Amino acid sequence: MKQLFVTPNRCTACRNCEVACSFVHTSDPTVLAFPRVRAYAISENTNTVNLCLQCDDAACKKSCPVEALVWNAKTGALEVDLGRCIRCLMCTIACPFGNIHFDKRTNEIAKCDLCQGDPACAKFCPTLALEYAEKPSPDPKPGEVKPLPPIPWMLFTGKQSR
Amino acid sequence: MQLTIDKRSVVARKGEYLLEVAQRNGIEIPALCHHPAVEPWGGCRLCMVEITHPDWKGWTGLVTACLYPVQDGLIVSTDTKKVHQVRAGVLDLLLARCPGSSLIQNLARQYGIEETSFTPRKAPDLCILCGLCIRICEKIGASAISSIGRGVEKLVSVPYETVATAACVGCLSCANICPTGAIAFSESEHCRTIWSRNFELVRCEECKAVIGTPEQLEHFARRSGLDRSYFTKCDSCRNREAAARFVRVTF
Ligand code: SF4
Ligand code: FES
Repeated sequence: MKQLFVTPNRCTACRNCEVACSFVHTSDPTVLAFPRVRAYAISENTNTVNLCLQCDDAACKKSCPVEALVWNAKTGALEVDLGRCIRCLMCTIACPFGNIHFDKRTNEIAKCDLCQGDPACAKFCPTLALEYAEKPSPDPKPGEVKPLPPIPWMLFTGKQSR
Repeated sequence: MQLTIDKRSVVARKGEYLLEVAQRNGIEIPALCHHPAVEPWGGCRLCMVEITHPDWKGWTGLVTACLYPVQDGLIVSTDTKKVHQVRAGVLDLLLARCPGSSLIQNLARQYGIEETSFTPRKAPDLCILCGLCIRICEKIGASAISSIGRGVEKLVSVPYETVATAACVGCLSCANICPTGAIAFSESEHCRTIWSRNFELVRCEECKAVIGTPEQLEHFARRSGLDRSYFTKCDSCRNREAAARFVRVTF
């Protein structure tokens, strides 16, 4: 099964992943969705991204009073059923990694859903700090550039947000 | 199993109700007292549809879609003259009850009603008695509110219509789920008020954003089996801290 791998020492905190994520999770191109993945410049030369770990025994799922967090058996992602969700926001407080957010602009809980098995963040990460694969690939050689898909605008499908 | 809704053949699983199947297939049925988070209730009667079955020898029936279990071969019509009539009747009554609700006004207009044909209620509030607040409060495990009285005097309130008891955790779930915005609450710098009770506010240990009331966080920690220490910071602060921690363990 493919997994989303994070290799922090390759991350340049360029935030391409955040932009890609925002784009695929909105149904309105004029309103960017809250990115489910966040990139941080921690100190000089140390950067990383932080995104949902899809915990087996997830605190968000436990805290939800209406069973609105459900496993997608196909992708292995824990997804929010927005129809059930009552916006109590307890999941956003309970997650010890702060990886489930409330998006004020869309009035939705924003959580990584692995883009239904095709994570946009990984596609647009130029340094392979984020990759969706069976196993992480070796470090790219200096000067070796990963070809990226067309610019993020092309990503906008308007399909994923419910 | 297979059934027909508005001449479309749709698939349903045993135990489902008509409304969820219709919604899943993009067929719109108006509903006021329904929310997927709580059990269906059948209180508002707005989701009426007409049903029949090849075995019923021409008999038809009007039922609430939210409460009617699917059945193989059922033929459902959501837009007949009869359906239109009963829904308009419901909305006429609701408009007399809550003339000030824009939600009801808009729904009524869709059924050709600009003004109620009944005498509007005196000093009306916005409550349509759909019971969603009561059911969600019970669902989260607080059961702090209930319906009081009968008939025209029926209303939703806390015991004895006074101040919320200790059962209320001040989570605002009732106010948030209310379709008409009938449940008032207020929040100031240090205090949240709902059902006439004042609650302190807990803020994120880092950025001071409001994360709930002490009672609410205590309640949700207890019901989820998570330690209370899980409920101390907002998502943004936790996210940043976790990123720093990842860097420390991976570099
Ligand atoms: S905000 Fe929604 S998904 Fe999160 S705990 Fe509350 S009901 Fe569940
Ligand atoms: S939604 Fe079915 S009766 Fe209210």
